[in-house]
Amino acid sequence: MNAKDQIVSKVSSFPTLPVMAGRLLTLLNKPDVTGAEIGKVIQFDPALAANLMKAANSVYLGSSHEVASISEAVFRLGTKWVFQIAVSSLIYSNLRRPVGGYDLSGEDLWRHSIAVAITADLISRQLNHKDVGVVFTGGLLHDMGKIIMGEYVGESFEEIQKLVDDEEISFEEAERRVLGIDHAEIGAMVAENWKFPVVLTACIRYHHNPAAAPEPNQSIDIVHIADALCLMQGYGIGRDGISYRPDPDAVTRLNISNSILELVTSQLVTALEEVDNVIKEAPVAQTAGR
Amino acid sequence: MGLVVLGISDLQVSNKADDILITYSLGSCIGVAAYDARAKVGGMIHYMLPLSKISPEKAAIKPGMFADTGIPLLLKSLFTMGATKDNLVLKVAGGSHLMDQNKVFNIGERNYLILRKLLWKNNMLIKSEDVGGNLSRTLRMELATGFTTVKSSQGVREL
Repeated sequence: MNAKDQIVSKVSSFPTLPVMAGRLLTLLNKPDVTGAEIGKVIQFDPALAANLMKAANSVYLGSSHEVASISEAVFRLGTKWVFQIAVSSLIYSNLRRPVGGYDLSGEDLWRHSIAVAITADLISRQLNHKDVGVVFTGGLLHDMGKIIMGEYVGESFEEIQKLVDDEEISFEEAERRVLGIDHAEIGAMVAENWKFPVVLTACIRYHHNPAAAPEPNQSIDIVHIADALCLMQGYGIGRDGISYRPDPDAVTRLNISNSILELVTSQLVTALEEVDNVIKEAPVAQTAGR
Repeated sequence: MGLVVLGISDLQVSNKADDILITYSLGSCIGVAAYDARAKVGGMIHYMLPLSKISPEKAAIKPGMFADTGIPLLLKSLFTMGATKDNLVLKVAGGSHLMDQNKVFNIGERNYLILRKLLWKNNMLIKSEDVGGNLSRTLRMELATGFTTVKSSQGVREL
């Protein structure tokens, strides 16, 4: 078996998502989903409910006025944040793990993932992009392929890095040349295995290369730009560093200016602190196996 | 020994000889290490953006986020602790960019240019630097001596 086949064979044994996360993600296909519907799905999960209460009582996400019930929390946070907090809480334990090969500590992969998710959300606000749930979740999961790829990248790191240096190609392109597949493609295969919505899978598959998508898509472009911005600023980056190439056409299609990029960059610092605290401190681990 | 870790947008000064100031993962952000050997005081900043006009309210809470609010604050804090302009030695790391020929994401370069401009206006020079490229860097300074290093995938070297 060559390296690519070996890597691909790992997709089917990759841990499954918590059932609850799967249920929430199917709601992404319903464009008019309400907070009440999402609330109904998560109301029987005490840890998740605790996280939502905490989020609703935080200044950035919710309000300064104390929120005492789940229904009020759902109302305060609004559909978008109810969904985002719920999905992040459920996926936290899946992403909070060290990834050898890329030299990512457990904290690094999580930190990069949540930073990209929030950045994608902040960019969406600036551009009035509607599929916020898709770009947030796409941002959160864009690098999960690294969890599978790590072992193989570790074995071939010198060879991959040499290609990056000698031919000035991006890291994921070098991964593909050496191992026959890259972390974006593997992540997308996991997403397909999990029966994710098509556009969400596409956000993961094309996050380094929006030009390869069958047709241009704003959600893919936003996840791509959010990832580039977070890599550039050093949010949870590994041994692969910032050897990645942003797509100028994605910037043109989004018509995103430098001042928007800088504004989002400044907003990210505080948003990240707050969301990270909400998700990390609440006891979510017990929901992971359900 | 006190290891003082600076996160993104942090600024720290110290006159404790056993302190070490360190900041990790400088990409497009810039780290400046400043040290006055006579006064034995030093400071560091990890700023992420050039100009605070993009968000004055953020600058009010986190002046270390921007070069134009953070650098003056760093210098002022050091002067208050006894440092002088003539004795301050400045070392700089960061300002990287992605593999981006079109320079769409030129925050790193702009971060560096504004620093040069701010220092030039104040008649101050950068003693040594490790900036640009596609690297992620760690900047570290020992308060006892001002010994400063930069670490990246290319190894560790003294600045």
